[in-house]
Amino acid sequence: MTSCPACLRPLGQGDLPALASHLVEEAEGSDPAHVRWLNQNLTRNKVPASELVPGLERVYDLRGGTLKEWIKARFISKFFGPVPHPFVTALQHPSRATLLGYVVEHQHFLRQWVRSCAFIMARTDQPKVVLYELDNLNTEYGGYGPERMAHYELLLRMGESLGVDRSRVLTTPALPSTREGIEGWNEIATRQHWVAALAAMHSLELIANRDLVQEGATVHYFDPSILGGGEITEASKNFLREGYEADVAHSDEALDLVNEFGSRPDVSEEVQSTFLRSIDLFDDYLLARLQRAADFEA
Amino acid sequence: MKRNYTGCAICDSTWGNVWADVEGERMFFCCEVCVTQFRRLVDRVKQETGWSTIDSLDIAGDRRGRSCTASSGSQSFRFFIAFTPQGEVRAFEKLAA
Repeated sequence: MTSCPACLRPLGQGDLPALASHLVEEAEGSDPAHVRWLNQNLTRNKVPASELVPGLERVYDLRGGTLKEWIKARFISKFFGPVPHPFVTALQHPSRATLLGYVVEHQHFLRQWVRSCAFIMARTDQPKVVLYELDNLNTEYGGYGPERMAHYELLLRMGESLGVDRSRVLTTPALPSTREGIEGWNEIATRQHWVAALAAMHSLELIANRDLVQEGATVHYFDPSILGGGEITEASKNFLREGYEADVAHSDEALDLVNEFGSRPDVSEEVQSTFLRSIDLFDDYLLARLQRAADFEA
Repeated sequence: MKRNYTGCAICDSTWGNVWADVEGERMFFCCEVCVTQFRRLVDRVKQETGWSTIDSLDIAGDRRGRSCTASSGSQSFRFFIAFTPQGEVRAFEKLAA
């Protein structure tokens, strides 16, 4: 069914007029999430609900393509457009502070990641989705022994290589945007349809998908040249390289599963709204990494 | 304070319905986050310039960051400012006049 992309309130299937009315009503109450969604996705000019419907139809229109194509196009537009997300810009040639901001906030993100993926596994009825999530969880959190350490361990080692002990990383509370993201993704994983949760979580791995440049992204997640030379520490290269190599398959495979199991109209609409909510949470979370980086600036 | 926006004082949106007193003037905002942003902007400009009042403010840009010109009497001050999602200042940079 259609749900609100700002708060995930369920609405009737295909009922975009109801969604328009809901957005206008919440904006009348000056709710920041709804006002933001209207400002960023439809218009900054207050109009009657009926005038929002054509814009909503454009947002949700798959244009004859697949959910995967729609998700990728919107993700590229939000994070890799002519003005990329500020964290992406900072990561092109990252300072020590930028990388440490990444470490401190991302360990909170990855701990929620495990919970979200576990909920998807628990709620799906599809064995291939369980197998996908098992592999993902091992890559991100469990690891495959010392020869192939988990992303989480590589992240902590990156922090240590930059002079910050893991005990300090693990005891630093998350910033508000990280905390709100974690709460939002937990809600998505526990309450939304499992296909919608799958799309909401694994679409985020598009951030490090190096193939997006071929699909219109203006830049990579980071300038690949930093993986050579001495610009960043070896542990930082190991961390960034792992995501660079894993996330093409992670995001593409998950979005193929979304295509396969999300084609029913009611599920498809929920996938779209949940994805839209997730990328707003992610946008704010990436800013939290920059905010944290300020703690490490000389 | 003379402003180039007729909607929300920080983002020009006409959604929402928040009125807040800033610098002795009742201003329209689309949400409380924008109220916080505007107050932080005014505080930062005063801190950087030493001015007691701001006569005019011209804002251009979006949520990724805003380039602004503030003036007080015959003086003007150009700067770039960006905020956290909670409305606090995340980045601030003086720009050449």
